Amino acid sequence: MKRNAIRTLAGVASAIAMTVAATGASAQSNRPVTVVVPFAAGGGTDITTRAMQSGLTDALDANIVVKNTAGAGGTLGVGEVARARADGRTLGMTPVGPLTTQPHLRALPYNIDSFDYICLAYSAPTVIAVAKDAPFSTLEEMVSHAKANPGDVTFAVQAIGSVPHIAGLALAEAAGIEMTYLPVNGDGPALKALLDGTADVFIPHVSFFSSNAEQLKSLAMLQSERLKEQPDLATAAEQGYDLDFPIWGGLVAPKGLPEEDVTRLEGACEDAVNSAPFQERMEAVKQPSAYMGSAEFTAFVREKYETNRVLLEKAGLLSN
Amino acid sequence: MELLITAAAQIATPLTMVCIICGTIVGVVVGVLPGLGSVIGLTMALPFTFSLPQIPSIALMLGVYCGSVYGGSITAIILNTPGTPQAAATALEGYPMARRGDADLALGWVTVASTLGGLFSVAIFIIAGPSLAALSLQFTPIEYFALGLFAMTCIAGVSSGQMAKGLVSGGIGLMLAAIGVDPVTGDMRYTFGSFQLSAGIALIPVIVGIFAYSEMFLRVLDLDGDKPDPAEMRVGFRVPPWREWRIRLGMLLRGSMIGSFVGALPGTGAATAAFIAYSEARRTSKRQENFGKGEPDGLVACESANNAVTGSALVPTLALGIPGDPVTAVMLGALVVQGIAPGPQLFANHLDLIYAIFLCLILVNLVMFATGALGASLFTRILRIPEPILIGLILIISTVGAYGVNGSTFDIWVAFAAGVGGALLRYLSYPLAPIVIGMVLGPTIEMSLRQGLILTDGNVLAFLERPIALALFAVTAAILLWPLLRSRLRRSG
Repeated sequence: MKRNAIRTLAGVASAIAMTVAATGASAQSNRPVTVVVPFAAGGGTDITTRAMQSGLTDALDANIVVKNTAGAGGTLGVGEVARARADGRTLGMTPVGPLTTQPHLRALPYNIDSFDYICLAYSAPTVIAVAKDAPFSTLEEMVSHAKANPGDVTFAVQAIGSVPHIAGLALAEAAGIEMTYLPVNGDGPALKALLDGTADVFIPHVSFFSSNAEQLKSLAMLQSERLKEQPDLATAAEQGYDLDFPIWGGLVAPKGLPEEDVTRLEGACEDAVNSAPFQERMEAVKQPSAYMGSAEFTAFVREKYETNRVLLEKAGLLSN
Repeated sequence: MELLITAAAQIATPLTMVCIICGTIVGVVVGVLPGLGSVIGLTMALPFTFSLPQIPSIALMLGVYCGSVYGGSITAIILNTPGTPQAAATALEGYPMARRGDADLALGWVTVASTLGGLFSVAIFIIAGPSLAALSLQFTPIEYFALGLFAMTCIAGVSSGQMAKGLVSGGIGLMLAAIGVDPVTGDMRYTFGSFQLSAGIALIPVIVGIFAYSEMFLRVLDLDGDKPDPAEMRVGFRVPPWREWRIRLGMLLRGSMIGSFVGALPGTGAATAAFIAYSEARRTSKRQENFGKGEPDGLVACESANNAVTGSALVPTLALGIPGDPVTAVMLGALVVQGIAPGPQLFANHLDLIYAIFLCLILVNLVMFATGALGASLFTRILRIPEPILIGLILIISTVGAYGVNGSTFDIWVAFAAGVGGALLRYLSYPLAPIVIGMVLGPTIEMSLRQGLILTDGNVLAFLERPIALALFAVTAAILLWPLLRSRLRRSG
């Protein structure tokens, strides 16, 4: 028995040695930059990040590795960025939820002061969507139905404490209606709930709405002005509700990056966002483009952090 | 017909062929490596699809997808370590068969069954696509709950006469699945203040631990029973003769049908299908006494089922825009970037694309067969590697797999803990497959039950008002009560 164990150890050691030798050869030269995406591959955040990949590679003259660290509403991946060394080699593509809503809901090993904000890379409105054959076509029709039948309208929630969830709560409050909240596991299952009649309404990102426009109709887009890419989508503001709930995200770095690194990365981000491949990709997924520099983005995150705290507090979801 | 020819012309380009062949081979390889599975394979393929035209990128992804579902079974047979969760049921019969020296034969069974199961679901995809999509919309949370309970009865099927131990293992799986964020309230459960645990315990590190690590730990300690002589291990690829197949055509058909049906329901998946098919085979087989000792019935059933999921899982993904699992979600994400809008119109107005997918799937399944047949001599030769070196290699590869799912060192610890626990359970002869069943089904059962209760205002009896759910509840009850009833009847008779 002992002999077998020792031989195994020898086997392990030699295999490790080979692996190390194989990776060591290419380790030094131009070290790659890892961009952590806190959600699974194939999702909105992931697609956007990968679309920026070639632009960032060109601008920084380094390989860009996209790493998906999904879990716990995106907080796992964002936590990983906060913990990383502030050397500009680890960045995060961080969307609104893990930055400005999740910290209000539970204790996390990071807060909004854990990061240097490099740039906002995308921002797009959300849409109040119902099935194509739903009995209502405007926000007012749904609201009056919900008023007449409290709890009859079922609202599918993709994730607790997410922007769509908060937007739904804000709608219920603004309109003075009562809805039944049905938790589901993301956009796909929410769409299924609408199609099989389990739920009546949900709030997806405009890009998800557009690619499923055949089976959905929009009651209201949650942005103050109509989108120039899709001018036929009526806004909530036009219908008397001041609801503005974009889903946005941007590049962040662990706190403590030297000033010149922030500037360099900011420039690279701007180049990547303005590059033709990125714009084409965004057009393909019908997402409007947006950009903010470091200073503007920092102020923006802080503002959203506060407004979302107030909304969560009103909804009684605050952790303490 | 004209469209079919157009589609064929689109596919018959060198680029598409290269994509199909490379995609399938890469898929088989990531499937073979424990821990690396379909999702990782597709994530690796994702950047390539951005620069490829539409049809080749679809071909690449379909290849990786189908290849990885098949590849997992090879490791399950050779090493008793399913390369992917989908192949966990395959190890139950495949490994005993390999252990007695017939690895070449086991690979023959699964490769043919996988290919035929895959082709069956391709046929379902093209013939019944839209109606299958409509059927999947008949399944609301209440039906999912009923189906989940039904699938839990598989624990009995995989516990080979050790029902109490099987239930304990199943309970462990369910408890592991309960760790993390509560899906309805957002509260933390069993995390003990650990931030890492708030994301829950991932399935793949646990599979790597309880199967790969624990098997290797026991081998290192020489606790794995009689060692077969490596020289007696047959290498190569042996397709079983027709007379062996003829008596198992029913198994093959039933497995393919179970796989196609389960695959069409978003949120279930190939692992569930394989377990249901396996326990169905065990329940109905004429060779019941051979189960657990390398009975081809079980292999044919679960391998045809998990590969039959591939074609039909594309139905809700494309016809409704609802991906059933993380695997199809990655594919859908890439397809949307390619400018494909999912929805019923896709099947009605874009038949050229649907036909192209159909033809790609057929070719992928054939390439998969060739890869398996040609690779078999390589894979079976693994059994002749001196054991210490083999164990060392496997420990490293599986550690990389456990890490690779989320790129998290925490997952390596999870795998290690699962390995120690798994080795202990193995030593005490607890079956391990029920842990996987519990972990796979736990979240579905919980979520659908709680959704159902929200929809019926907490009225459980309202669940029985839905005909499909009622039928599933009745079948579940019948399967559970039948052994009791039978022994009662025998005693009185």
